[in-house]
Amino acid sequence: MTRFAALRPALAATRAVGERELIAVVRSRTYWLLTAGVGVVVASVAAAGSGVDTGYVPTVVDLLVPTEVLVPAVAFAVGYRVIADDDRRGTLTVLETYPVPSSAYVLGVYLGRLAAVLAAVSIPLILVGGYVAASAGPASPVFATHGGVDSPALYGRFLGSTALLAAAALAVALAASAVSGSRRRALVAGLLGLVAVVAGGDLGLLAAVNAGVVGSDTLSSVLAASPTSAYRGLVFETVVAVAVERSPGAVAVGPAVAGLVGWTLFSLLVATVAVSRR
Amino acid sequence: MTDTRLHADEVNRTFGDVAALTAVNLDVPAAAVTALVGPNGSGKTTLLRLLAGLDEPTAGTVAYHGPAATREVGYLPQRPSFRPGFTVAETLGFYARLVDDDPDRLVERVGLSAAADRRIEALSGGMTRLVGVAQSLAGSPPVVVLDEPGSGLDPEATARVFDVVERLAADGRTVVISSHDLALVERTADCVAVLDGGELVAHDSPAGLRASWGGPLVETVVDHVDGITTTPADEDTTAQASITGTDTTREADQ
Repeated sequence: MTRFAALRPALAATRAVGERELIAVVRSRTYWLLTAGVGVVVASVAAAGSGVDTGYVPTVVDLLVPTEVLVPAVAFAVGYRVIADDDRRGTLTVLETYPVPSSAYVLGVYLGRLAAVLAAVSIPLILVGGYVAASAGPASPVFATHGGVDSPALYGRFLGSTALLAAAALAVALAASAVSGSRRRALVAGLLGLVAVVAGGDLGLLAAVNAGVVGSDTLSSVLAASPTSAYRGLVFETVVAVAVERSPGAVAVGPAVAGLVGWTLFSLLVATVAVSRR
Repeated sequence: MTDTRLHADEVNRTFGDVAALTAVNLDVPAAAVTALVGPNGSGKTTLLRLLAGLDEPTAGTVAYHGPAATREVGYLPQRPSFRPGFTVAETLGFYARLVDDDPDRLVERVGLSAAADRRIEALSGGMTRLVGVAQSLAGSPPVVVLDEPGSGLDPEATARVFDVVERLAADGRTVVISSHDLALVERTADCVAVLDGGELVAHDSPAGLRASWGGPLVETVVDHVDGITTTPADEDTTAQASITGTDTTREADQ
């Protein structure tokens, strides 16, 4: 009880910061252009493939690769400069005179921006899912998930996995923003972080496999260390595996979730330490 | 004897090989305006940041001797800037929420009620500075530290900001400001601390400085700071005052 009472000011600060961030993003014209852009890309990819006329799993297969790039890109666009800008304006200095721990500030920024990122990404995907339901979904509203049955629940898992990727990518973006001292550096750090999230992990793992550092027996676990590999593995295991047999070396669900959550927590820790040291 | 709210004891602050402050002893009296004056690079902002608890001395201590408060020291940076896209009321509402304060009280305190619904980015420099002053008052901190509250403003806006500063001290708040406007300092401040080259070369009331330096501050301070040949008559600038309430001390890392 006493511990909770001690946490109340920090929780109130997190909520205040989070609401401010969400309002700031939602009031930004850039955010709505970004959301519209995501909608156009998702709709175009879905229309170009044949998945939407077939079912949820084929639609997920169509959307998977574009989503791997699109979601981190949106997360970085929404988060790459927010902490750097607060630092430039002197807001971080002023907040030091308030009873606001660095962790409460970072968490507030994260949660507020995450809500905006999830809305930008999930609304177009939900609309596509709605289209599948209307045009190609199972005749009966089956929510079974065992092998061979396509269902909205599988599409829900795809959305959940995508939310985990968005959460990890945004956390990396905030860490990049926190460690950079200016808007320009924040842009560079954000782009480097984006490349690292989208391709860096996979390329690093490829190099490690080629060098013989990573063997086939450990590949499954090591793949989870790359955000996009973890995401891809998660989608394959929880959605696509319904139609396709699990291939050896695929990332297991546990390590994949742990990988994405680990990236999220580690990045938020980096951001918190960077803010507290300013 | 006047209560002391902040006490700097033999404070040194270095940045690499550069000594920004050297052996500064300063008592900041309660319910009064203390002004730090001196040329650029004299250590005013460094000392203000130390007094506000935003930095730690390399050696020596800075102690807060005031009542327990959610927020002990409010701070106005030299160039306050706020998140665009928000109104004055929303901006102050954010800071007020952090300390359970009433944003309307803050808006009224600095006379910005008529502009409460205006966007921050649409305000003049003077009004933005007043929003910054209002922010520094969120949570009713016993001490308010304002870094050059009048810099870059036209005379009318500067006078308006200093009027607010005077009212704060009249209401019992301890105010520390830095300023280059010696005429306004002479009119507003109860105590003046003159810094030069990181050293405190004088600390007295404006009247005391006038008496010791033989003329208005506007005419004498710069001369004395440039020449640094005259020692003020009152050398007891670091006298201990009676101390009550909560003590918070920031000292150099050992």
